[in-house]
Amino acid sequence: MPTTTKDLIAYLARTARGDRAAFAKLYAATSSKLFGIVIRILSRRDLAEEVLQEVYMRIWQRAGDFDATRASPISWMAAIARNRALDEVRRVKPVSIEDVPEVLDLADPGELAITGIERNEVLQKLLKCLEGLEPNKREMVLMAYYRGESREALSQHFGSPVATIKTWLHRSLAQLKICLGT
Amino acid sequence: MTDDSDINAMAAEYALGTLDPGERASAAARRRREPALDAAISAWEIRLGPLADLIPAVEPPASILARIEERIERLDRRSGMVEGAGSNVINLQRTLGRWRRTALAASLVAISLVGVLYVRESQRLTAPRTFIAVMQKDDASPSFIVTVDIETRLLTVRPVAAPAQPDKSYQLWMAHPSFEGVRSLGLVSERDLAPRPVLTGFDRSVIETATFGLSLEPVGGSPIDKPTGPVLFHAKLIQATK
Repeated sequence: MPTTTKDLIAYLARTARGDRAAFAKLYAATSSKLFGIVIRILSRRDLAEEVLQEVYMRIWQRAGDFDATRASPISWMAAIARNRALDEVRRVKPVSIEDVPEVLDLADPGELAITGIERNEVLQKLLKCLEGLEPNKREMVLMAYYRGESREALSQHFGSPVATIKTWLHRSLAQLKICLGT
Repeated sequence: MTDDSDINAMAAEYALGTLDPGERASAAARRRREPALDAAISAWEIRLGPLADLIPAVEPPASILARIEERIERLDRRSGMVEGAGSNVINLQRTLGRWRRTALAASLVAISLVGVLYVRESQRLTAPRTFIAVMQKDDASPSFIVTVDIETRLLTVRPVAAPAQPDKSYQLWMAHPSFEGVRSLGLVSERDLAPRPVLTGFDRSVIETATFGLSLEPVGGSPIDKPTGPVLFHAKLIQATK
């Protein structure tokens, strides 16, 4: 029984009122997605399990902040999961130089674009805008998003100084914002 | 970093995750008291959010939900300090324990100083329900005074003869048995003496019984949700006016 966005919104609203059963349903519907997000950034299962618990504690405590008119429930929860995982990864490995070879296993955007995942208009628009970036800039943004790579790790990977990476990131993100028009 | 493009660049990199640890902590602390930055970060989280759809799901161990529910249970009982046994509660106890140990030596002189300040503050402040806490190094040099207007929930930190710490930031924290871990109330600087709306979400009874701590962190603040540097002071609020 697939859970719809509408279900998730209802679960979050009930969770905000302290409904533990709704929270358990929310967890059942979203935990494998959020675990996928944090484990990709943290690479370590033990850390990812700990972070996942903290992510759901935050969701429990902040469900009342969710605004369905602004964000989709999964985007809102994904942001909480990414932020917590990023805080952790920066603490555990401030510079992930030793992990750089590993980041090469990132699927390239071309591959991502043909995965059979059902996606909405918003995602298609975002992917189109990403395709408008130069290939290495696009890869940089995706590596940062999916793997939580730091500027230092990106600098190692692309063989460019950190200051250049920072400039690239700023320009790429600015270009994305203009393309998305939001 | 105050104009729109700077805020947008910081928000974009915060949402993407590429700020360095110091910048990240600073952005996280600032978004709590700067609605413009908070809105810019949220907007970026929404822009990038659809990318999460492409991340393959990974099934977490079945035991995790029960562990989360246990944590919620403890949170609900609001008695984590004495009977909880989970990691976060232990963290809280550790943190409080460390604050107490650090401040033990200073607490006796603090009592006498609080008496002096009580008189001064109560003469000066006319607003009702003002609470203060003093964080000091020794009896000769009071270092920080925290003032809270319990009605408006506005908090002010005033450094008094606080030693300048090059390459470090002072960060204010709050701990209370009703929540897990500690909450950052932001960075403290000589330049930022404006009342902060950092306590708006807390019940009056929580604020009145919370423990406030001040730690020395890397520039921009702690990169995580608790102090990483030495906790220099801790204090509870006392009522300064009737």
